Amino acid sequence: MDNVTKAKINLYAVLRNLQDLCSLDEESKNLIRGVNLKVGFNVNSVGSAVLEFSNGECKFVRGKGKAGLQLYFVSAEHFNKLIDGENTIPIFYNVFQVGFLLKTFTKLAERLSYYLKPSSEELFNDPEFLKINTILTAYTAFYALCEIGNSDVVGKITAKRIPDGVINCLITGVIGMNITVKNGVMSAAQGLVDNPHAIMEFFDIQIAHEVLQGKTDTFSGLGQGRFQIRGFIPMLENMAKLLNQVKWYLR
Amino acid sequence: MSDTSKFKINNYTESNKLFARALKVIPGGIYGHLGPAEGCSIPISAFPLFSERAEGAYFWDVDGNRFIDYMCAYGPNILGYNDKEVDAAALAQLKKANCTTTPSRLLLDAAECMVDTIEMADWAFFAKNGGDTTTLAIMTARAATGRKKIVLTKGYYHGVAPWTQKLGYEGIIPEDVSNNLYIDWNAPEQFEALIKKYPGEIAGFISTPYYHPVFTDNKLPAEGYWQKIRKLCDDNGIVLIFDDVRAGFRLDIAGSDKHYGVKADLSCFCKAIANGYNVSALCGVASLKGTVADVMYTGSYWMSAVPFAALVANINKLKRDNIVPLINEIGRKLENGLVDVAKSNGFDLIISGEPSMWFMRLGNDYPSTLLHQEWVAECVKRGVFFTNHHNHFINAALTDADLQYTWDVADEAYKVIRARHPDANYIK
Repeated sequence: MDNVTKAKINLYAVLRNLQDLCSLDEESKNLIRGVNLKVGFNVNSVGSAVLEFSNGECKFVRGKGKAGLQLYFVSAEHFNKLIDGENTIPIFYNVFQVGFLLKTFTKLAERLSYYLKPSSEELFNDPEFLKINTILTAYTAFYALCEIGNSDVVGKITAKRIPDGVINCLITGVIGMNITVKNGVMSAAQGLVDNPHAIMEFFDIQIAHEVLQGKTDTFSGLGQGRFQIRGFIPMLENMAKLLNQVKWYLR
Repeated sequence: MSDTSKFKINNYTESNKLFARALKVIPGGIYGHLGPAEGCSIPISAFPLFSERAEGAYFWDVDGNRFIDYMCAYGPNILGYNDKEVDAAALAQLKKANCTTTPSRLLLDAAECMVDTIEMADWAFFAKNGGDTTTLAIMTARAATGRKKIVLTKGYYHGVAPWTQKLGYEGIIPEDVSNNLYIDWNAPEQFEALIKKYPGEIAGFISTPYYHPVFTDNKLPAEGYWQKIRKLCDDNGIVLIFDDVRAGFRLDIAGSDKHYGVKADLSCFCKAIANGYNVSALCGVASLKGTVADVMYTGSYWMSAVPFAALVANINKLKRDNIVPLINEIGRKLENGLVDVAKSNGFDLIISGEPSMWFMRLGNDYPSTLLHQEWVAECVKRGVFFTNHHNHFINAALTDADLQYTWDVADEAYKVIRARHPDANYIK
């Protein structure tokens, strides 16, 4: 495990969840109501991203961009501390917008933690919580595995073993993602493609929850017919190795 | 039979009940290549999970469904399940003794049988699984040369010991594979380049006789390939190891190295060696006999007498009845029929590998293989056991009637797929 890969996961997989959080969670929607601001995150030796808040929505954009509030982190470790909830202060540009950072952003981060780091197992008895937790966990995992495949020293070896093509990953009727692999470079996007080379499908929220939380192993899920892989299996077999690595970065 | 099928469509109620029980006490329910995950049972609802009995070319599952079995337990079944001669020899020995403090004289009989049968063999060392022998082969090569590195061909499978796995797999650390070097199949120039890059460091070259990885078209050795590899090994003091675990006794009774015109230094056998009884063997040339004797290597059941009795009876029958050409002829006939059936339905079935252990896929949907997976599932539901990811195996008990049944099932299964996907990429 290395800090740069962890920071990439935190930036492009964990932080990007704010986009979906703000559409799924009523409390988060209320927090950003009336906010019109772009916030840039710039992490030295890692990369950049912009969160765009407008019209009650949040949009995550990968890469550098103009923003009313620019945050700078001197290193991967510096940024990881922020995401891990440790006391750390980013270098910021535009003092007039720092209120957003201290109030709204902090509260959004707390809502994200509420869903991604549940304080109690009992929360999963609430179907709505289970659904939002599973959706955010799935997005995190699939975006994160791409970062591992592109950055982690072992992950890059695994990614190079994945034949070129597109994998559809879905929870039936809930969410869909597609992961593209070309010459060992991986990228993820929301939505499904028409003619994927391989498919990984969770047939309901519960099995997605169990597998992604490590409560059920994939072999058991497959055997029970609650989870299915089909298509060009070498793609999925190697992608699963990357998925296994995610837990080491996000524990 | 359903309203639309000429064949009985299998029901797996009892299999599923047992699997639910299994999940509570067995990791993954059924782990390994016989399980639904590694066995690529896609979708699982089309596949049996537990067997009840077997005979000849068939096995029956716990729901009473019969299957013409083209996986042959992934290779061990070569004469036909429950072959009377092999079973009689094994049962006769079982009445006398099996696992004892000193080995049975059958240890010697089995070793002499291997040495008499396998052309390169001057000795035989028995274990239980193919992976036991590939690991012993690597250790022997290292002991003989005092070197660390091993060259493998990409897409290899030599068992499940850590050195045979890949970095990134669960439980594998960099040190497990740090002395592995890899080349492409049919690329002796890459082997030569590695020898130049690591002078005096390469202990062995290990490979299957031909390229038969999963999911991928199998490839035969190019003209002169093995001769070039042999010469490079000879010129550089490298031990040439044939992993004949899968292909052994299916290409040539005297060994697959002989089949392709070379002589290996070490050859690994398992699968078809005893028609399903659990024994494997590493065979070697005389110059390595003292070395392997010095390697610390043993196991609780490695000298069990019953499998040795089965081994001798099996190999004697393979020789007496000239089984190897027979199973290759059956394989060729089956393949030709399958290709014709596929073509008549607009499917481009591509066959590769040797006829006795062929690999097949569709050209229509490559590389997704989605149509092929559906077709395999429809065949299995009708009692013809294929897989969608692995080479298949032929056994000598298959009859012309079995082949005809297979072609009829294949035909109906293709029609089902075509009706389900009317707009797919069919050949005219």
